Amino acid sequence: MRALGLLWRHRALVAVLVRRELTARYRASLLGFFWSLLNPLLLLAVYAVVFTSIFQPRFPGGEPYPLFLFAGLLPWLFLSGTALDASVTMVDNGPLLAKVMCPPEIFPAVTVASHLIHLLLALPVLLLALAWSAAAGWHPFPWTVVLIPAALVPWLLVTAGVASAVSALSVHYRDLRDLLGHLLNLLFFASPIIYSLDGLEVPPALRRALVLNPLAPLVVVFRDVAFAGRAGSPADWAIALAVGLVVWSLGTWVFSRYRDTLVESV
Amino acid sequence: MKGAIRCVGVRKVFRWRGPRRRHETLKGALFHRRLLERSSRFEEFVALDGIDLEVAPGDAVAVIGPNGSGKSTLLKLASGILRPTSGTVAVDGRVTALIELGAGFHPEITGRENVVINGMLLGLSRREVERRMAEIVAFADLGPFIDQPVKTYSSGMYVRLGFAVAVSVEPDILLIDEVLAVGDEAFTRRGLDRLARMRRRGVTMVLVSHDLDLVSRFADRAVYLRAGRVVADGAPDGVIARYRSDVAGGEAAVQAALPPVRVIEEGRRWGNGDVEILSVTVSSGGVEQRLIPSGAPCAVHIRYRVHRPVEDFVFGVAWQRPDGTAVGGHNTSLDGMRPVQLAADGEVRCRYDALALAPGDYQLDAAVHRTDGLAYDYWCDAARVRVTSAVEWPGVWAPRHRWEGDGPLWE
Repeated sequence: MRALGLLWRHRALVAVLVRRELTARYRASLLGFFWSLLNPLLLLAVYAVVFTSIFQPRFPGGEPYPLFLFAGLLPWLFLSGTALDASVTMVDNGPLLAKVMCPPEIFPAVTVASHLIHLLLALPVLLLALAWSAAAGWHPFPWTVVLIPAALVPWLLVTAGVASAVSALSVHYRDLRDLLGHLLNLLFFASPIIYSLDGLEVPPALRRALVLNPLAPLVVVFRDVAFAGRAGSPADWAIALAVGLVVWSLGTWVFSRYRDTLVESV
Repeated sequence: MKGAIRCVGVRKVFRWRGPRRRHETLKGALFHRRLLERSSRFEEFVALDGIDLEVAPGDAVAVIGPNGSGKSTLLKLASGILRPTSGTVAVDGRVTALIELGAGFHPEITGRENVVINGMLLGLSRREVERRMAEIVAFADLGPFIDQPVKTYSSGMYVRLGFAVAVSVEPDILLIDEVLAVGDEAFTRRGLDRLARMRRRGVTMVLVSHDLDLVSRFADRAVYLRAGRVVADGAPDGVIARYRSDVAGGEAAVQAALPPVRVIEEGRRWGNGDVEILSVTVSSGGVEQRLIPSGAPCAVHIRYRVHRPVEDFVFGVAWQRPDGTAVGGHNTSLDGMRPVQLAADGEVRCRYDALALAPGDYQLDAAVHRTDGLAYDYWCDAARVRVTSAVEWPGVWAPRHRWEGDGPLWE
């Protein structure tokens, strides 16, 4: 809560740093800011080609598969991209931390915010694809997309928590950066992003483990509203929100424990 | 009061786990950190050890000392970048630290955009930065480069822009860490000029520098740190002399295995004792005096004893006001006297044909030291005199003078 207050007080600074992050990323590229739209579009195009002409995975309610996958992937890319960037943000901004007095909370917040912007820019691509698919008669347009902002709340909480913890821990434990990629990979395949739990044929023990994955409800809720056209079960929403709150509290707690020693270790 | 800094019992300990600090590993944290052993596994470095320091608003304080003595740590504590391990640092007012100019400039975006971000990091609002933009751009003097990405800048341009932003913040307290050493002469001059103007406006300044000439010109007080402790604190010239003596002594000790500089009286008198000053007196009219009429002839007598004959020696005298303001100083080396040998006890006199000082109290430092600064005996406040006069003069200088004029009539 203290962190939120701090961020609110420095909101102008956060906004400027997010802008810096975005403009610096696309500086000197021909298409500039357009890339944040083009990236998800190209990603979708690749999936469409691969999963309609090379593999044809089938899940109940998973048709057309490229869209199914894309809807699951968008929030995941937000989380994983933020986590990876958060692991370097403190070190990258070390000069600022060590030479100018500024609250360290700012840097994970900037990372989360700039990835959130990328996610928001990718949503129109999803909506267009959904509309196109509906027009072609492959898949009815899911009007539940209006609930996407609500379904993003648990994602935002989890991402903010992970970013806080990772940004602080990676300063003290440099090997976290290497480990993180593998952890994310594991979590990716453990989450029902490329598959759905409904049509999965795996041993019951593994299935139970997959169901217990705390990220699963978040994926399910988001894909329900953004693709399947279901509002999702209240239980799923409640679990997703609870997971979000727990991860967020844990993340900010870890951050607060390491906060004061960041400057010395960075 | 705005602009005050107050450190009480400040101690700063840096700790890291083992020698492999950079390669801190999760494995180590997970497997090797048994709870009981935890504290002993830390390696510690005590950067500051019990610093008590008070800086009044509007003061210009220089912090000097060898590398690793804790100067920069002190500055970072005052700026709030670091927190003390124990003790308190209280700072009143807006602080700007000129620690590494242009720290945090992003190479990919333009100078102008970086100014906005840096200004906001330093505590300005966006609108405030934009209002000062013209002034910043003018001071940095980058020409068309201001709208180019910062990665195209030379290091001098980088520093100029960083300095321009930092001083535009109009802080109550300015902390300066050796930043004027970078940049060309013109920039250093302009920077100093800017700092001097801020000083006149009453901005408190704490300056860390190895440039002792700059310190004595710029600061009205110096603090000498060594190994995290305050060794000397007071008028810059005395503190600098003390530091020079220690530096020279340290080198000599390494070279000739001489005993290091010995402190005779903490903060006021030090030296290795090869030559000892026995007494410092002021005489007028051939008799020792405590009261000297302004303009009267007088002499400072330094009686000394030689414990070890030396061939390199300089006698010196410095005059100060009781508040530490330097009034003047002279030594035999500056006056062109080449030392040959000092083997027998005796007395050295510095004669003034007319003591051109305004009425008031004065303190005298007397010293005998080597040409490179190593003190045999450096004695601050070795004697006091009161200069008297029938009339009160302002200031410290009271030269013999007279008025003339063709027009006015006087009685």
